[in-house]
Amino acid sequence: MADYRTINYDRLGETLYEYDHPSGLKAFLVRKPGYNKKTALFATDYGSIDNVFKKSDGQVMHVPDGIAHFLEHKLFEQKEGNMLDRFSKLGSSPNAFTSFNQTAYYFSCTDLFEENFRMLLDYVQNPWLTDENVEKEKGIIAQEIRMYEDDPDWRLYFNLLGCLYVNHPIKIDIAGTVESIQRINKELLYECYNAFYTPGNMVVVVAGDVDPDRVFTIVDNMIKSKDKGRPEKHYPDEPETLNAEYREQKLQVSMPLFSMGIKDPVRLSGYELLKRRTAIGIILAAIMGRSSELFNRMYYEGLINDSFQFDVSMDQSYGFVNWGGQTTDPEKAAQEIRSEITATVERGLDEAVFERLKKAHTGVFIRTLNSTDIIAREVMDCYFNRTNYFDLCRVFDELDVNYTNSVLRDLFARKTALSVIKPV
Amino acid sequence: METAARKTTAEKLAEKNGITFYRINSEKFKTNRVDIFFLDRLERERASANAILPSVLKRGCSKFQTQRELEIRMEELYGAVVDGGCNKKGETQIVSFHMSHIADKYTGKGDKLFDKCSQLLMCILQNPVVEDGGFKASVFRQERDNLVDYIRSRINDKMRFSFLRCIEEMCRGEAFAIPDEGYESDALLLTPQKTYEIYQQMISSYPCYVYMSGSIDDESAYRFIEQFSQIPRTDTGRTGTCEVKKNVSEVRRVDESMDVNQGKLCLGFRTNVEPTSPDYYPLVVYNGILGGDVHSKLFQNVREKASLAYYAQSVLEKYKGLMIIMSGIEHANRDKAEKIILRQFEDMREGNITREELDATKKSLMTGIKTMQDSQGAIVDFFLSQHLIGEGDDFESMARKIEAVTIDDVVRVAQNVQLDTIYFLKPDNPQPAHQDE
Repeated sequence: MADYRTINYDRLGETLYEYDHPSGLKAFLVRKPGYNKKTALFATDYGSIDNVFKKSDGQVMHVPDGIAHFLEHKLFEQKEGNMLDRFSKLGSSPNAFTSFNQTAYYFSCTDLFEENFRMLLDYVQNPWLTDENVEKEKGIIAQEIRMYEDDPDWRLYFNLLGCLYVNHPIKIDIAGTVESIQRINKELLYECYNAFYTPGNMVVVVAGDVDPDRVFTIVDNMIKSKDKGRPEKHYPDEPETLNAEYREQKLQVSMPLFSMGIKDPVRLSGYELLKRRTAIGIILAAIMGRSSELFNRMYYEGLINDSFQFDVSMDQSYGFVNWGGQTTDPEKAAQEIRSEITATVERGLDEAVFERLKKAHTGVFIRTLNSTDIIAREVMDCYFNRTNYFDLCRVFDELDVNYTNSVLRDLFARKTALSVIKPV
Repeated sequence: METAARKTTAEKLAEKNGITFYRINSEKFKTNRVDIFFLDRLERERASANAILPSVLKRGCSKFQTQRELEIRMEELYGAVVDGGCNKKGETQIVSFHMSHIADKYTGKGDKLFDKCSQLLMCILQNPVVEDGGFKASVFRQERDNLVDYIRSRINDKMRFSFLRCIEEMCRGEAFAIPDEGYESDALLLTPQKTYEIYQQMISSYPCYVYMSGSIDDESAYRFIEQFSQIPRTDTGRTGTCEVKKNVSEVRRVDESMDVNQGKLCLGFRTNVEPTSPDYYPLVVYNGILGGDVHSKLFQNVREKASLAYYAQSVLEKYKGLMIIMSGIEHANRDKAEKIILRQFEDMREGNITREELDATKKSLMTGIKTMQDSQGAIVDFFLSQHLIGEGDDFESMARKIEAVTIDDVVRVAQNVQLDTIYFLKPDNPQPAHQDE
């Protein structure tokens, strides 16, 4: 029987099971008694930003933009047919996504979990690429790219990243371009697969009402490859300065959209990353959240509306904050937010506001535990950043206003970039 | 190895003055929640006023006069949510409100959140900020502007925009053509006084369904019912029937140009199946085989075989009996895509359906039924749907009915599905297709 650890989070009413496979693969189970739905995910620490890497023989590879996403599409293709069909014959819904830093394959099901789970572990380990099936995919992915070209929120976001980043490949569209994907072929896809789809670079996460012995025994039986370590990723040096302060694009939209952001030069991993990310979330809520003076003032002025949002993204190789939405006047909205940020950096966060927001964010965290999909994804994301999702509990206990204010002074004194989409 | 899942039921707790209260009990969720639905017949003269009500009411109440005070209060209650919205199911417009909060045991402080959050919800529903016999004018004007901006911003999401335009064109002259949030021109004419009158009608006379879900004890549940029942009510029952059957004499084509990269093709069909008909579940299976999931004919033929699209799917509108097929394609591939789509539609009619397609569809629907029971929002939506059409299906009986559907049933309903409208959102400056063929 597989030898796993059990960690109880009594305050959350959750139990995490953790298993180390000899190959270096990590597996987790979050048991959800009473849930019909089971979500399982098999992911690699490899995303769109990993377009330069060093192979085990020392050769440095530069691969076309969009290749991680292309590979994600192609893994569904197997010698005996498409995996989507085989999962759907069992009534389960398979899917996958590629982000900046991860590629994840998953399914959710209610019945025949073990059969589905074996299929997932099997196909991700067995790519079946042919010249013909690689060519066929180009038409489909081209339409996916074209769809995003017409998506104003997506354009707004990538134009902002283009302002924030000078060199880092995070500024490149995840799916690449219609042109870049034409350069992708079977051989390049295998190079990437062999480099990144190694057990030591991957994780399995299951969330649902299933037995840990069974889950980890299946993992044990199904993981075939031996430990090959982790590939060496190469990211270019990124200066602290912005690439550009402003970018504008015209699209078919009803009114202007604006998005602003700040690049975080601090690189962390593990618990410290989780702590900084949480602190930044609270700072953003304090400055521009629904309960802030700024949000309400701009809302009253008609400068912003309900679409206004903010977010923190943080990984070991990049970090940034962004916020925005529809606006009647992008320049004015940007100006008001910039002054408020400056003023907040000067005076710091009020302790009572900080405590209230910490309470609210605790509630938001607890809510995520209703969904097996969110749990699986967060556990994976945290693992790749050398941390544990359930440690958020500890973060909320330990986070104080002094630490948060030091993050505020360090990060929010930096220059903001502005991306704008205007109506045609 | 697995814990037996409890049956998910909606227990009727009370029915008073046209308000029906249900409780959906489950210990497995971290949150408790209350959903309130007010129902009105979808009519142009009231649609915009109904649509604006949730946003106006969310702006403050007698106890928390501004949106900001409300937001601060919700943060103090561990990020509680009090929200509202407006949509339509068939030709019924639904003004909805809900609150949710984390269960008391997760606060670690012995807080009693249900009562506090219910009071907040009741306050915005019952005691809006009023001046001169209407909603507070400054707040009202802002929300009117926001509603107009929201209606205009439909064009931002091209997939949804083309879907809505297809329905509008197909159902022109029918109530169902009215968008969920009404029309811009009507929204511009709303006044604080007139809208306040509609609000009073809503609160006092619209048929109303209330669902409490999570782990809510009897005492709290009945206290909430007691509080809610104090609203004076005159029951007028303004919901009506929805005309589903329509004979299409000629297929209509609507092309609209826009400065976009990808064309959006939408085909609107009349299924002629009412939600209460014995043919309804066969229709659900029909839609699943044609375009419901990755195993479907549309996904397989338009995407996997022809590589013409990233998405190709069909969706049902249950109450109006519509089916819409959607796909995003290159302009140059329009005819090809349309031909393949219509071929799949004909195959359904001719009975070219395999046992495997039927089984995969049913299994996928079964998974959907079980999965719904893991989401409080989905459970509430399911029971509301059942209560709206007066059908007493629960999750188990729905599963049995779907299980019983045969290929013959599917082919039978296929005979009555009629193509009505083909809508194409056409790129202004067509670029050459990136297809090799």
